[in-house]
Amino acid sequence: MSTLRTEEMTLNMGPQHPSTHGVLRFIVRADGEVMREAIPDVGYLHRSIEKIAEKVGYHGFMPYTDRVDYVCAMFTNQGWGMASEKLANIQVPKRGEYCRAIATEFNRLASHLLSVGTMGMDIGAMTPFTHAIREREMINDLIEELCGARLTFNYMRIGGVAWDLPPGWREKALAYLDHFEPILDEYNALISYNKIYIERLANVGIISADEAVNYNLVGPNLRGSGIKWDIRKDLPYSVYSEFDFDVPVGKGEWGKLGDAMDRYMVRIRELKESVKILRQALKQIPAGPVLAKVPRNFKPPAGECQIRVESARGDMGWYAVSDGTGYPWRVHVRTGSFAAMGIIQKLSQGLMIADLVTLIASLDVIAPEIDR
Amino acid sequence: MGAVAEYFDNIKNTVTTIFEGMAVTASHFMRKPYTVQYPDRIPVRVQDTLPYRYRGILNVDLEICTGCLACERACPIDCIVIACEKDQKTKILTISQFDIDIIKCMYCGLCSEPCPTGAIHHTSEFEGADFSTESMIRRFVTDPIDAYKPKKGPETDERIAPILNRGMRYVNEFAQGGEAWNGGVVDDGAAAPGADDEEEAAAKQ
Repeated sequence: MSTLRTEEMTLNMGPQHPSTHGVLRFIVRADGEVMREAIPDVGYLHRSIEKIAEKVGYHGFMPYTDRVDYVCAMFTNQGWGMASEKLANIQVPKRGEYCRAIATEFNRLASHLLSVGTMGMDIGAMTPFTHAIREREMINDLIEELCGARLTFNYMRIGGVAWDLPPGWREKALAYLDHFEPILDEYNALISYNKIYIERLANVGIISADEAVNYNLVGPNLRGSGIKWDIRKDLPYSVYSEFDFDVPVGKGEWGKLGDAMDRYMVRIRELKESVKILRQALKQIPAGPVLAKVPRNFKPPAGECQIRVESARGDMGWYAVSDGTGYPWRVHVRTGSFAAMGIIQKLSQGLMIADLVTLIASLDVIAPEIDR
Repeated sequence: MGAVAEYFDNIKNTVTTIFEGMAVTASHFMRKPYTVQYPDRIPVRVQDTLPYRYRGILNVDLEICTGCLACERACPIDCIVIACEKDQKTKILTISQFDIDIIKCMYCGLCSEPCPTGAIHHTSEFEGADFSTESMIRRFVTDPIDAYKPKKGPETDERIAPILNRGMRYVNEFAQGGEAWNGGVVDDGAAAPGADDEEEAAAKQ
């Protein structure tokens, strides 16, 4: 047998592969079914969004930020709003901040539901996906009533939000939360504690705490490795310091700490925490205006700023430089998905090809967010 | 635990957890379905079930358009093209072109926000498929039309009054906190319809 010549096989996974979460390509060097390495090839969805900002001005860039990460567009809205407000030193009214917190937390629910739903679908369980999408659709209906769109919200403005909560919306939102919590337990019974599911996820793509920090992972990917770091808690922005919530971290209950199952369970637990925040926000929301006085011809003074938002995919950074004109001189977005791509080449060494799909899904990468 | 015991334990766990999942699935046979049959199997049109703030295809009520060009300036992708001429003697502003390219439009709603009368507004219409790109450009002006001049008191023209009422309701949605459930403070987002903007437009001419 030893005289048989074997060679490595180079495979292209993507860019149209259904489980790569968008237009994303992996160059896989495989020996049989075991990967030597998988090199992510990004850039297929590059739309020069940062450059567009320099051409459309501060107000006009807001709808474009929806396209940075269309699964959780509220966070990109908020990031750009906060960056512009910091440049011009604008104070957002209290009610505006609460509206922002409510909208973003609902969006976090929607984003995590999509993430845990596709997690099941990627490894071959179709039913959980339909259950997750069903709950997500109801959130979309709520957000549609709030801001008129289901995906590219464009809800926030520089200085607050565009619309106040519509009449009766608060009761609907609370009713949804009452409906959602038992559904989450049902969802766990359906898939999270399924033995086959756990076996597929546990001990796959283990990221140690050191590695997670060194590779600059953020959000649930970082917390899955046991590091308690959440911008909402550690560097509070908006009104998050007024809410009481926990930061769930991976515990390594089913395998080694930092495996795919830990990252999955962090998202499931974050859903519960978001419900907690939403209940408090809907209860505490004060009266008042939701939008500060901001001139249509918005010209912040020259300067630069960097703000950080805890998006559904982790620490999202917005860097903006103003030169005193109506157009930003430079805008840069730092996103969690791009950071997560960096570690795939290392983690994929020695992994089975089928587990690469699990790894990508557990890192929850969104292709447009990688490339912008 | 011995290897054999672990082997059978795994099988037992697998079977029981599968049945737990199947119990959830089976319980959904008893529940009301969540899906909606589109487009013709529900009693009302889908468009009529959409919320008031829904951002569908743009429409313009030229009867109440002041020709202030605020929407054209607010549009980040320049899909709105308006041409206005002001007669130097009679001081009447005439709109000779008002085109919206709905292929380019990204339904962001930034144009309807600064509109002082709510002339440009999103409808709940979303079925816009067509056979040619040319027909996707909505041309609202066929014959040049005089721009609307906001009056001091309520609108007296019977034909225009209901259109203006519709428009001002749209504007009030943007007037922060106007219809809020706990009665928030009204920010003067829609103060003095048209007055400043018309001067601005005239200055631009």
